[in-house]
Amino acid sequence: MNQPSIQADIQAGVRADDGIEKGGLLLQVDNISLSFGGVKAISNISFDVKKGEIRAIIGPNGAGKTSMLNVINGFYHPQEGKITFRGKERISMRPHEAVGQGIARTFQNVALFKGMSTLDNIMTGRSELMKKNMFWQMLWHGPALSEEVEHRTRVEDIIDFLEIQHIRRTPVGNLPYGLQKRVELGRALAMEPSLLLLDEPMAGMNLEEKEDMSRFIIEVNQQFGTTIALIEHDMGVVMDLSDRIVVLDYGKKIADGAPEEVRNNQDVIDAYLGVPH
Amino acid sequence: MDVLHKILVAPFIDMAAAPDFLMQVLWEGLVSGVLYALIALGFVLIYKSSRIFNFAQGIMVVFAALTLVGLHEKGVPALLAVPLTLVVMFVLAVAIERVVLRPLVNQPDVILFMATIGITLFLIGFGEMIFGGENKVMITEQLMIPTGAYTFEPFGGFLLIEQKDLTAVVGAGILVLVLLVFLNRSKMGRAIRALGDDHQAALSVGISLSTIWVLVWFIAGIIALATGIVWGARAGVSFALEVIAFKALPVLMLGGLESVTGAIVGGLAIGVLEKLFEIYWGQPLMGGNTETWFAFVFALIILLFRPQGLFGEKIIERV
Repeated sequence: MNQPSIQADIQAGVRADDGIEKGGLLLQVDNISLSFGGVKAISNISFDVKKGEIRAIIGPNGAGKTSMLNVINGFYHPQEGKITFRGKERISMRPHEAVGQGIARTFQNVALFKGMSTLDNIMTGRSELMKKNMFWQMLWHGPALSEEVEHRTRVEDIIDFLEIQHIRRTPVGNLPYGLQKRVELGRALAMEPSLLLLDEPMAGMNLEEKEDMSRFIIEVNQQFGTTIALIEHDMGVVMDLSDRIVVLDYGKKIADGAPEEVRNNQDVIDAYLGVPH
Repeated sequence: MDVLHKILVAPFIDMAAAPDFLMQVLWEGLVSGVLYALIALGFVLIYKSSRIFNFAQGIMVVFAALTLVGLHEKGVPALLAVPLTLVVMFVLAVAIERVVLRPLVNQPDVILFMATIGITLFLIGFGEMIFGGENKVMITEQLMIPTGAYTFEPFGGFLLIEQKDLTAVVGAGILVLVLLVFLNRSKMGRAIRALGDDHQAALSVGISLSTIWVLVWFIAGIIALATGIVWGARAGVSFALEVIAFKALPVLMLGGLESVTGAIVGGLAIGVLEKLFEIYWGQPLMGGNTETWFAFVFALIILLFRPQGLFGEKIIERV
């Protein structure tokens, strides 16, 4: 493994040059409310994500965690509130605009292009970064060719990093679940995001796979300096990985802070264990 | 024994006896095959990117041809009418995306399929309103498509190749080649495949649904115009042309709905085989007119052995 070169490579291309110092404010979510018809999925939630940290969003099922991610990457448009990402304020945006600003994500139930190979899947992550025009692309020559080669190199680095060389050419539909999750992470990494959203990256994994995935998440965060916001149900993993945790319950924020604080917060304990009314 | 002889031996004796005629039959089959392949290609592109079976592909052919001829009737020079028609097809693609597809995003596939039937009916009415319902003649000469014929004398026989057929084959070949390179070599091509697989995931990597949909419908429009010119030159431009879309169905069954290669190979194979069957088996043994059903029967037999078609994607789901 040639990690130093990956590091240099990816850092060079990372849109981490967003002018924000480590520890500075990357994402600010203000008073977001989202409802579907009469159902309130999120009510009046505010929190922030700082550059370079691993931020966990936890809460019981139906707390509105995934809805929150969907709001951040533009799948859902909240009725109220505003989002400030990299200093730019916006109320709602389309998903590909969020990508353009440097937000990548993975999904709770793996969302890969099942008929395509691992390599092609990860290559799609480069879509937004490939800028050469269609004319050159059609000729498969000149700038477009060197561009494709350059992006392939980056993708190969990511494949090395995630230790999935052996399945490069395999259609991902045929892969076991744990590996699919890893390919999905690879596709998100290929986007060289400044904010990486992971929706239950360890769901349905065995212990060994969880350990691998934890290791990748930490390495991505520490080596590439990628800011990560993740949803996870495995409390052990969450407490170990994250710098700060926000806890949601029934669409409301009930706690926010370092793992220690959250662990001892009475509201959080009640939400998870239930409380007699 | 006599029947077996008629089916298994006699046709081949006929072929060997008049190789020049066989070549003529093969050529005619090839020309039809090119057209089937073009239409099937329009279906495949849209299906690949959106899982929509576009019932309107046939009427798009008619609409493109009518627009071209109609513009020329209004006094627009033929060579200017072609780019103008392309503009119209682009506007049509944008309109379909905005008015029909976008509001129906995430609806079941069959709803979108029915929506394309709606598009078909709309285009029939709209086309008749603007261009009238009577048959028109394709402006072959004005488009500088040669109309003469080459004659050859292979094996001491006679072979006639019409120049417009030759132009059609060469033109379609170039179009398909450009399209293939575009689909396989560009990020747009990858985006088109990705979008067909998983909308949500495609959105999350920055592929814009609306851009790609407009793009594929526009490409389908270009293909429709090419098909319209070629078919119109052979058979005139009328709404009856719409039924050639059904000719593409067995091609799709044979080639697989997702495969560009399948559409091309399937189209050519069906064009050639149905012509051969008609001439050597259909006419002497069954009184002819086998071309209407041969392709379907042939495709069904192939499907018995390869349910995903010859080139379809075989996706193994882990459950």
